[in-house]
Amino acid sequence: MKLQQRNNITVHGDGPATMLFAHGFGCDQTMWRNLTPSFGARYRLILFDLVGSGKSDLSAYDYRKYSTLHGYADDVLEIADQFAVGPLIFVGHSVSAIIGMLAAIKEPHRFAANLMVGPSPSYINDGDYIGGFSRGDIEGLLQALESNYLGWSSNMAPAIMGAPHKPELGVELTNSFCRTNPDIAKHFARVTFTADHRKDLPLVTTPSLIVQCSEDSIAPRPVGEFMHKAIRHSSLRVVENVGHCPHLSSPGSTFDAMRGFLTELDL
Amino acid sequence: MGGGVTPDGESLFENAACGLVLTNPDGTIVRVNATFCSWTGFTAVELVGRRVQELLTMGGRIFHQTHWAPLMEMQGSVAEVKLDVVHRSGAIVPILFNAVRRRHGAQVFDELAVMVVNDRHKYEAELLATRSQLEAANERLHGADRRKTEFLATLAHELRNPLAPIRTGLEIMKQVELPTEGGRARAMMERQVAHMVRLIDDLMDVARIESGKIELTLARIELRQLIDSALEASRPVIEAAGHTFRLILPEGSGALFLEADLTRLSQVLSNVLNNAAKYTPRGGRVELEVEPLRDAVAIRVRDTGAGIEPQRQASIFEMFGQVAGTLNKAQGGLGIGLALARTLTKMHGGRIEAQSPGLGAGSTFTIHLPTVAAARRDASPSWQEGERPVRPLNVLIVEDNQDNAETMCMLMELGGHAVRIAHSGRAGLERAASWRPDLILLDIGLPDLEGYEVARSLRADPHTAGCTLVALTGWGAAEDKRLSEEAGFDAHFTKPLAPAELFAFMHDTFGGPTG
Repeated sequence: MKLQQRNNITVHGDGPATMLFAHGFGCDQTMWRNLTPSFGARYRLILFDLVGSGKSDLSAYDYRKYSTLHGYADDVLEIADQFAVGPLIFVGHSVSAIIGMLAAIKEPHRFAANLMVGPSPSYINDGDYIGGFSRGDIEGLLQALESNYLGWSSNMAPAIMGAPHKPELGVELTNSFCRTNPDIAKHFARVTFTADHRKDLPLVTTPSLIVQCSEDSIAPRPVGEFMHKAIRHSSLRVVENVGHCPHLSSPGSTFDAMRGFLTELDL
Repeated sequence: MGGGVTPDGESLFENAACGLVLTNPDGTIVRVNATFCSWTGFTAVELVGRRVQELLTMGGRIFHQTHWAPLMEMQGSVAEVKLDVVHRSGAIVPILFNAVRRRHGAQVFDELAVMVVNDRHKYEAELLATRSQLEAANERLHGADRRKTEFLATLAHELRNPLAPIRTGLEIMKQVELPTEGGRARAMMERQVAHMVRLIDDLMDVARIESGKIELTLARIELRQLIDSALEASRPVIEAAGHTFRLILPEGSGALFLEADLTRLSQVLSNVLNNAAKYTPRGGRVELEVEPLRDAVAIRVRDTGAGIEPQRQASIFEMFGQVAGTLNKAQGGLGIGLALARTLTKMHGGRIEAQSPGLGAGSTFTIHLPTVAAARRDASPSWQEGERPVRPLNVLIVEDNQDNAETMCMLMELGGHAVRIAHSGRAGLERAASWRPDLILLDIGLPDLEGYEVARSLRADPHTAGCTLVALTGWGAAEDKRLSEEAGFDAHFTKPLAPAELFAFMHDTFGGPTG
């Protein structure tokens, strides 16, 4: 099967270096759209959907392969091999920040920089480490998914209400970026929120930026600080934003943080 | 206007039939109505200034951050999101949310309308529980079905084993002078054993089809080849029942070609013809008619027999569909043949149907098959029946089943060959090395070594490398044949052995008595 279809890869912009954008849990590549216009003039941009999300090929969802984040990291390396030109800047949101980190640990020579938006190496509290959640909370998330994916599963008619003042979004309403197979969504949720990659942080050699939101219940500030301490060559920038998606709700300051970091690296 | 007073906007908002909440885009509650307060147990003063996501369970908060918030950013609305709200008392209240983001002057607000869905929540939980129960039950059924199929395959295989020596024994008796009664009994036994072998073969085929293990060997064949092949098997059955038979071949049917597995398709047609003979009272009429259609052909088999009740015309193709039916019980049958016929027809891209005006009114079975353009015909091997004499050979039989070995031995000796027997793989290897036989008949399922291993050792030893090696086994799948070929066998025969086939092979390999 072609990689392009498997991951619904789209290429935009142009430039001597490539930015590879990976979305987080629950959405698809559409969520980068407030940020990509600012980068498109300077870089080649590759966007894709994780297998099991968005418009990826759901039949390629191999429950064994994707039972750890390494399965996704291998996909990232394949996409980079086939689509990247020049130095590679990986941009990952949430779980994908960790996926990019794992890929960079596997093949450090491929990555010039890793921009991590709202990353967390482990969501579950463990002794002194405060990830923010207990295992029971994750079960609660699976329940919420079960209730809502009943109506949102990709084989049911779209139920998401229109936004009359934004008619340009019409296409998305019938083809929502939150739709996927409910079983896959639950599996992905479990894999995402029970993964623990704290031990991998010291292995990172790629220059890394941690974009930390000032207030984020999924990746709270102590988690960002923990990562900053554990990853050599890392920078921590706090963006004024409430919530877990600064690239959607505060795209300007997110862009500034990223651009500043890349300028320092001459990228 | 009547005497009543229309409630003002304020009262409508406060006591609406749904909970209403106004928040900033970050979720901070700006205003909330009395209905929402009563459902959650908090006062408006307590709620204003808090974030709406703080009212959710932890799992709900993650969902809010990973789904709700991005949806609000990107399409300005969410609908029918169900999340659990934690009541002031700690109780869980399942609530359905609708939300729209709207600009009011310079400010943007999220307007939420919510409903408590206790009953729906319970109903949904019940549906989900039922679904997982069904999935589990389905899984169990699947397992049971798989085990049943495996059992059938094993049973068929085990039934074949004892038939091998019986069949060989009957072959031997044929070549020995027997008194008249003995000869008649022998002939009867031969017919019955042949019948039993057919039943077991059907059983095995069904088991293999069910487990997806059967593969068609497709070739371009003439329709006429199929009809001849099926009639060759069925004509004796039709004639034995005293029926008259008529073949109706319209002009042009000679130019009809099929992409088909000849053996399998003639098995289908022959099964239908045999059924017609079997379920028609003695002296009836059986017809086979070919009707060419556009890119297809319909083959009809008509009889004047027992007929089929209307309500059973579909179910007779189900596995064991004949067992419970009213079809001539005396004729028996497991009801495997038609199920097999339907599956094999389907595998050829065709379909099979049964029509009957009713009980006692005869039946018509129609097999529809796609046709293909005429092209180069694949040469089919022509088997000459009859005597195939072979020059005297040294034959080593390696077989652990004593009866089977003995009868094979007798059969070979009757053909004028010198025979030795070994009952294990190791004994076979020793005997082969010392005696240097021309032909080794080797069982695959030996107690000590696998037949494949014995074959490889024989091929590796320069003293025995030149022997002709024949595999005898109960397993006849393509995979088994490939394995035996790889191990160095020259031929592979499935038990119970049809002696004529082995003789033909020996004749072709070693030549006649003078050659």
